Amino acid sequence: MTTTSTEIAGTETLEDFRLRARKWLQDRLPPRIPGEPFMDWERRELVARDRQIQRALWEGGFAGITLPVAYGGLGLDYHYEEAFYDEAEPYRLPWHFGNAFNVVIPTLLAHGNETLKQRYIPGILRGEEIWCQLLSEPSGGSDLAGVTTRAERRGDSWVLNGSKVWTTGGMACDMGICLARTDPTVPKHAGLTMFAVNMKSPGLTISPLKLIRGNSDFCQEFLDDVEVPADHVIGEPNAGWTVVRSQLAAEHAGMARGWHQGLRVAAESAAVELSPAYVDMLRALDLEKDTHARQLVGEAFVIDAVYKLTTRRVAVGVRNGALPHTAGSVASLMAAQTDVRRTALLSELYGPVGVYAAPDRGGNSVGLDRVCTHRIGGGTTETQANAVAERHLGLPKEPSDDNAIPFNQRKINADRER
Amino acid sequence: MDVIVTEDQRMLQDTTRRFLEKRAPVESMRQAVESGSEFAPETWRAGLELGWVSLFVPEGFGGIAEYAGGAIDAAIIAEELGRVVYPGPFLPNCVAAFAVAEAGSDAQRSAVLPALARGERMATLCFASPGARGGAEPGSIRVNRTRHGYSLEGIAGSVQAAEQADYFVVTALDEHGAVSQFLLPFDAKGLTVNPLDPIDLGRSMAQVQFHSVALGEDALLGEYGAADAQFERQLQLALVLHSAETVGVTDRALEFTLDYVKQRYAFGRPIGSFQALKHRLANHAMQLEGAKAAVAHAARSVQEGAADAAAAASVAKAHSGKFATEIIRDCLHMHGGIGMTWEHDIHLYLRRAVSNEALWGATPAHYERLCRLAQA
Repeated sequence: MTTTSTEIAGTETLEDFRLRARKWLQDRLPPRIPGEPFMDWERRELVARDRQIQRALWEGGFAGITLPVAYGGLGLDYHYEEAFYDEAEPYRLPWHFGNAFNVVIPTLLAHGNETLKQRYIPGILRGEEIWCQLLSEPSGGSDLAGVTTRAERRGDSWVLNGSKVWTTGGMACDMGICLARTDPTVPKHAGLTMFAVNMKSPGLTISPLKLIRGNSDFCQEFLDDVEVPADHVIGEPNAGWTVVRSQLAAEHAGMARGWHQGLRVAAESAAVELSPAYVDMLRALDLEKDTHARQLVGEAFVIDAVYKLTTRRVAVGVRNGALPHTAGSVASLMAAQTDVRRTALLSELYGPVGVYAAPDRGGNSVGLDRVCTHRIGGGTTETQANAVAERHLGLPKEPSDDNAIPFNQRKINADRER
Repeated sequence: MDVIVTEDQRMLQDTTRRFLEKRAPVESMRQAVESGSEFAPETWRAGLELGWVSLFVPEGFGGIAEYAGGAIDAAIIAEELGRVVYPGPFLPNCVAAFAVAEAGSDAQRSAVLPALARGERMATLCFASPGARGGAEPGSIRVNRTRHGYSLEGIAGSVQAAEQADYFVVTALDEHGAVSQFLLPFDAKGLTVNPLDPIDLGRSMAQVQFHSVALGEDALLGEYGAADAQFERQLQLALVLHSAETVGVTDRALEFTLDYVKQRYAFGRPIGSFQALKHRLANHAMQLEGAKAAVAHAARSVQEGAADAAAAASVAKAHSGKFATEIIRDCLHMHGGIGMTWEHDIHLYLRRAVSNEALWGATPAHYERLCRLAQA
């Protein structure tokens, strides 16, 4: 690397920047392969390639376009980022860094100390470190403030013990942000602390989880006296809930911008597309003239189009201020409901054909399509619905039985010791 | 409506809302219904002065079509009309004006458009078959060529404001299924209006019967046997306005239901604090947001004549119609006993929603239309 990103970008007009991006992308980035997943943590070669792509972006002066110069970013306004993603539409982008960019960097910028920001933000921009989130636990996921992983102060370090689960890509990540309990004698939201944890730490064991279909992007971690340096606390000790709140807001904003589509939908065409895949399905199943099957396909066209248009509406609206940022939760809820409905429609359409592995569906059957992920991951549908109801519609908050009492006096699952 | 609105569009929305709050609040419609009168003609004409129908009338004929945002502006107005369950015939007059402006001869345009723009005359549309499948395609009016012109035979179902109409835009099929359109005066010989008793109290609806209606060449709107594309454009515009109105109806009903569940107490809590209601309301807000997104997109596509306009219009109609009734039925339920009374406004909203879901092609008709579009 001969020139730093900042030196190139500092004086460039938007149009020059766009032209430089166009040329550079043509020369340096691989094209997007139709049908290739945005993320697949089990295919390590895909993860490794994304590290190289992120490294290339850094060297080309296109990493962290809107991030502060002090932490390796370009310090440009969002128009430059828009322009870059417009141009980058046909290319493979480093989507395995989505969590790092959508969640970790905003969280570090809001709450991290100088050491953390200087040490870790450039590491992400250079493609060296991929981050995960260590949040859910075997004892619960949606009730995030109820985590039981303990962190105790010993000298210059914190020592973590417990277990985390449903960590996306845990086995392939370098760092994780981890929520742990530092004071069990105060109410549950008050005794939490957020840590930056090295996933290669001694005492940290990572085991992949096998899901319904046999594969998985998720892991469970066991923390057995894992030492974390004192300066790796994000925010203040016992102020972890403040960090969680802005972290979740960042995550929702990321989803509103179209994370599910691969970090971005704004540049995608807004047109309603009637996917030929459904028409091919009707033909393959010999149902082209079947009235009921045509109704199902018609509905599938509608739910797919409405989901796409709503995601886009929310993304644009949140960005230009026409919609409150809470509208992001509406898009998350719709992602879950649309998946569930589509799977039900397809199962009904396929009938007995849908219960066997089919070569035209990559060896998958229909009935298990995405039936779990969006309903449970990232907070269950019920917590999403609460978020919409309380934050977006202003309905009264759900009363809670354990918000005001010390955490160690709460009622817990009957099969666990106090 | 859309999240990307210009200052002009925002002003149009504000002006329309203020006008309707003052001149056509829901109470005024209730009074009209209870006294058995039709919609207030003076409010309709005042609305026309705001440009309601002139949006589709070219400048040369007393309109503002060249400067207005067409389907997008009209959808903004339609959504506001929905919020007060406005009774007047906005949609049929807009679409008829659009049809005549686009396909009419100079004689037809001069005779009809200035009068429609000023509200001196009204027009409506006849094309739908009266059966369960009607509303999204022409079907039940047959045209035959005669020695001196044409002859119409058949029945059009669900014609809005037929009793008030001075002109009818009629879409008919010949023996080969080719589509033609005609512009008829209300007193054409053989044309009979049979009023229906609609569930939507704010709307007059009728079947229109055509029995050996003899027409000259000058009644033809566009080319004989080649009006399918112009009919499709009119249908798309109608679907956008109809769906935009449905969105306004749903938006307002959900709004006052949210107010109600925040204030109504049971078991010592506002009923809106129970998850059994909150989760349903969250889903309703989500589907309504979907309807807004679909309608806003359809309005833009139809206005621009985009390649996806036909599909976008059907997506907007199917989604907004289906969820309007689902949402407002549940809103009524959440009001409990008071929601069942004549005094409460919610039945006026439910009536409009149920009616709108069925008219202009019920949801199954649009699912089928989308399949056909995908296979084309």
